[in-house]
Parts: sequence; C-alpha cells; structure tokens
Amino acid sequence: MFLTRSEYDRGVNTFSPEGRLFQVEYAIEAIKLGTTAIGIATLEGVILAVEKRVTSPLMEPATTEKIAEIDAHIGCACSGLMADSRTLVDRARVEAQNHWFLYNENMSVESVTQSVSNLAIQFGDSDSDGNAMSRPFGVAILFAGCDEDGPQLFYMDPSGTYVQCDAKAIGSGCEGAQQALQEAYSKSLSLTAALKVLLTILKQVMEEKLNSSNVEVAIITPAAGYRMLSKEEIENAIKEIPA
Amino acid sequence: MSNSYPVNTGSSVIGLCFDDGVVIAADTLVSYGKMARFFDCSRLYKVNQTTIAGCGGDYADYQFLHNLIEQKQIDREANEQGVDLSPRALHSWLTRVQYNRRSKFEPLWTSWVVGGIDEGKPFLGFVDKLGTAYKDSIIATGFGTYMAVPVMRKFYDDKNGRITRDEAIGLMKKCIGLLFARDCSAHNMYEIAVVDANGAEILGPLRATHDWSNVKEHRTS
Amino acid sequence: MFKEMQSLANAQMTDASPHKVAGFYPYADNGGTLAAIAGDGFVVIGGDTRLTTGYQIYSREASKLTKLTDKTIIGSCGCWCDSLTFTKGLHIRLQYYLYENNKPISTNATAQLVSNMLYQKRFFPYYVSTIVAGLDADNQGAVYSYDPVGSTERHRYRAQGTAGSLIQPFLDCVLGRGNQTAPEPEKLTKEQAMIYLKDAFMSAAEREIGCGDFLQIMIVTPQGVEEERFKLRKD
Repeated sequence: MFLTRSEYDRGVNTFSPEGRLFQVEYAIEAIKLGTTAIGIATLEGVILAVEKRVTSPLMEPATTEKIAEIDAHIGCACSGLMADSRTLVDRARVEAQNHWFLYNENMSVESVTQSVSNLAIQFGDSDSDGNAMSRPFGVAILFAGCDEDGPQLFYMDPSGTYVQCDAKAIGSGCEGAQQALQEAYSKSLSLTAALKVLLTILKQVMEEKLNSSNVEVAIITPAAGYRMLSKEEIENAIKEIPA
Repeated sequence: MSNSYPVNTGSSVIGLCFDDGVVIAADTLVSYGKMARFFDCSRLYKVNQTTIAGCGGDYADYQFLHNLIEQKQIDREANEQGVDLSPRALHSWLTRVQYNRRSKFEPLWTSWVVGGIDEGKPFLGFVDKLGTAYKDSIIATGFGTYMAVPVMRKFYDDKNGRITRDEAIGLMKKCIGLLFARDCSAHNMYEIAVVDANGAEILGPLRATHDWSNVKEHRTS
Repeated sequence: MFKEMQSLANAQMTDASPHKVAGFYPYADNGGTLAAIAGDGFVVIGGDTRLTTGYQIYSREASKLTKLTDKTIIGSCGCWCDSLTFTKGLHIRLQYYLYENNKPISTNATAQLVSNMLYQKRFFPYYVSTIVAGLDADNQGAVYSYDPVGSTERHRYRAQGTAGSLIQPFLDCVLGRGNQTAPEPEKLTKEQAMIYLKDAFMSAAEREIGCGDFLQIMIVTPQGVEEERFKLRKD
C-alpha cells in the first residue's frame, strides 16, 4: 500500500510529493489496532460502549478506563493509545470547567471537541510552549453529550479533524461495526433500543465473548447527564440481546 | 516610575466641525512653568490630506507621539499606497496609546484634538493623558473649555450647526483672541489647521491683535 | 503601587515640576448614571449622555449604553477611559465566544464573563459602575449590576452611577414596594417601566449636576432592541 513513502515519513511536518503527511496517516492506522468503541446519538440521549481487552485472567478489568467523564453533561470514549488519551481527556476537562467558570453555563459538545482538536493538531509545533507533542496523538475519540441543541455525538481522529455523527464506530472492529450501525440506525431509536443495537454489534465484532466485565457503557441524557452503567445493568442488558 | 509631570507645556487647543470640514487652532507658545520659554513651536499637525491634529500639554510627549504618527503615516504610504490614516483611526489609536501608558503609570502628558474627514463626513475627537476619549462637533482643551467653548457653542447654535469654512476660520481667530486676552500662558502667535474635501492645510503663523472689543462683547457685566 | 498612587494624588505639587500640578492619578470621575428595569418578556435600560470632569462638561452626546447582542445590553460609566477600554475588551471576548461556540452569547453568560473580566483587574481596577441588562434563556428580563471589582447580583431593577443613589430609592418605592400596604399594582408593562425610567432621570437631573443633557433608553424584547432618546436638563 505505502511502497514509495520511505523518504517522507520521518518528519511530522514534511509533506510527501503527493501531498500526504505519512505520520498522520500512520497515526490514523494506529487507531485500527485499538479496541472497538461505538457511539449512538438518539433523540433521548447518547450511548457510548467500548470493548475492553482482558488479556489475562490475572488482570483487573476495572482498571482499564476507556470511557471518561468530561463534565456532568459530556463523556467520551477513546480508542488507540490510552496513555495519549489521558492528555486529551485532561484538556477537555480543563476547557469544560474553564468555560463554566467564565460563562456560568455548560460548554457545548462541539466546543469541547474543537478545543481538544486544537491540542491534537499542535504536534511538531515547536513554537507552542511545552504542551506540544512531537508526534500526532495515537487516539480517536468519540465525544458524547447533551447541550442546548440536544444529544450530540462527535468523532475526532488523530489529525484533529472532527465531524458530527448520528452513530460512529472506531477501533479494530470499526469497519464491520459501522456497516451494522448504518443498517440498524434510525433517528427515532429509543434509548433502550439503541443500547440493544450497540451491544449486539459489539458482540459481533469482539473476539472474546461479550460479558459485563469486558465492556463499558455510558449513557448521557439531558435529564441525568453523564452516567456510567453498573456491572449489573450491563449484565441485564446483555441478557436482552439475542444470543 | 510614578513621578511623571509636565515640563515644557503648550496651552489650549480648540476645534470645530463646519459644514464640510474641520478647523483646529492653537497658539505657538511653549511655556516652562509660568515662563514663556519657546515662542515658535507649532502644536498643529497635518498628518495627511484627510487628517489633522492639535496637541496641548507636555511638548516633549507631543513630539514623541508626533514621530510615532509620522512613521505610521510613512509606513502606510510605503506599504499600502493610497490608504491614509483616517481621523477616526488616529483618534482610536491615540486613545489606546494614552490608556496603555497611563496604565503603566508612565503617562504621556498631552491632550489631543483630532480632526478630519472620515468617510466623507467631518470628524472631531478628543483624547487626554488617561485615554479619556469622545467625539463632538465642538472641542477645546485647557483654558479653552472655559473661554472658547461657550462662544463656539453659541455661534454653532445661532447658525443651527450650519457653518461655512470662512465662518469657522473667523470663529477660531476670535476664540484665539479671547484666549490671548485672558489666559496668561497663551500667546498672540497662532496657527489654524483646516481640512475639508479638498485636503488639509495649516494657515499661519498668524498674529492675534490686542483687540479688547472681542472680550467686552462677551462680558455680561 | 496603590500607596504610591494615593500619596502622589494627595501631593499638591510635585517638587521638580515647574507647574503647580497635582501628581499623576490614573483615574477620573466622568460621571454618568444608569438604570435598568426588568419585566416579563422585556428589559429597559437607560443612561444619560453627559460626560463630565469636575464642574465641566466634556460632551453632551456620549452614549454609555452598548448593544452586545440582540438580547443583551451593557451600560458602563464612571472613569470613562476605563469604560471605553472595558467595553472594547468585552467586544473582543464576545467575538471570540461567537467563533469558538458558534452561537451568540447569552445574557447570563455575558453577566458571568463581565464579573470575571472586572475581577481580573482586582488590584488595578476598572473604576466603573456597570449594568448588564437583557433577556435570559426563558425570555425573562434580567438586570445584573457590578461594583468596580466584579461583585455582582441579579435584580429586577437597579440604578448605578452618580445619580444612582437618587434613582434607586425611587425605584424601590414604585417597584420594590417593601413594607407598603397599598394594593399591589398591575403587572409591570414595558410602557410603565419606560415612564418610571424617564421620571427617575428627569428627577435626578434636577438635583445632580453629573446627570443631564439626554436620556438614552434601550428596550429589549424577544423581537430585538429598540432605542429611544429624551431631552434632559442641559444646565
């Protein structure tokens, strides 16, 4: 696929003669190695679900957190290098709190995404002090939240490009999952139906058998805000989906 | 820091909008305290064909700002051919410079009257050492606020705000005469800057006479 | 810095100066009065247009009200150079808000931002009285007032500035009606609020030299902002 790229894939600030930034493209490829994360926006709220790879029975599954709270009304799901995601999640949290401090209102989901994307594209920028990374961040993030425009889902890739989606899958199983989402999605989906769709698709694309400890689910509704589902709630939801 | 005071100073500046332009007048004396120190210092400044300015207060601070404005105008002529510094832009810029310096406790001890043609209409504005700024059709600084403003305002109201260029110049001469008669730090040598659609010019130096009829005319007792 | 400033202001004459001038003092009192009344579906805010220094009038036509959005007005008076700088800075911040959030800023968000901007200069304050008036998310009238360092509160009505202490008790009487036993008046209309504002400013101009020339009123309703002007005493 990339046979003629060798000369131009070292510096993050060097275009290839065809006009490509290979390091950025590699970073986008890196996401496909990450675990699958799926988000669905419905009229009632947004749901995020991620697969956790429990590689050893001696591993404590609760310590891998791929879904994080940004503010009381926004959450995010990450796929890729989780260490990188910490930096981005931290920025999102700081910006959300700063917005609340300055304006005494909740920051919109798009503005949070925009502020994180500002950090994501700073790679290789030697002018900006300290914060800039020498390489692109190896994560893609789904931002889900409810603001004054209702439930919203945004997807941001390692280049900092972001786009609003009704439903989006990222990570290793994204191709199959996205296809399945397209078939299952409708605007009028209820929250419970959307959860079912999500878990069903996750089950199809996961290598391991889906259970309550290798999946994380968060629901963000206008009334209750961000809420992570408990193990019991996930167990009950799994029982509802076809085996 | 913090021990700023004026040293060599110019007195009042007066300005007025007429039908299709603006006049600004000031005498040419710069005083050291109560001593008449320099007699032939112009305090009016033709920035370009659309913008004029007059300055009272510390003369060194005026010269400093004069140099900055001159360089701004030169840069404009060099880089953006045909784009002159407009009176509105100069007024706003001076406000920012004065305010920033007062905020550093290093004020430029000056008061400005900026005039000119802005988008085809007469513009007249005031800026002082704090960055206090406003626009009006009649402006005076220093003693002029007491001596010249009432005379200018009466003339303006009597004419319903319709004043010709010649009338405006005449009014400036009269007001400078009043200031010369009653302000001990005013002088009889003065200049008048005029700007209208045809461009800007500085008239003078002119000489005010010891004409006390002017003064008597405005006395009420 | 403040200590130096004060002692300089107090000094009658700076020794080295050839003039009899007071030391440099970075503030001026340029007067001005503001008042605002909120109601159901409207808010009215008035400000006089007189700009003064001491007993002298700089200008009779200096507007103290600035339209920020279709729903929010700010009024600022006191040290005029600070008012100018503050409102200009606020405009920049609002433009940034618009670009970063893709929506015009709300009245409530403006109110919080103004408080923060004033407090940021806690140790070299903007010497200004401020009122933010607008419609909130439910289209109810909102009036916020501020002290120079950002202390703020939401009110139904508020007067600030040189004649603030004359107008506030009048509004307390006709709108606050604390301890009054007379029957409650009908629901406040926009027209009645305008009458109160005009009466308040005309009365204030009788007794306070820092208030006069013209009264500028901005009326905010869900339909947008309207502006009216009335003559006040000119002497």
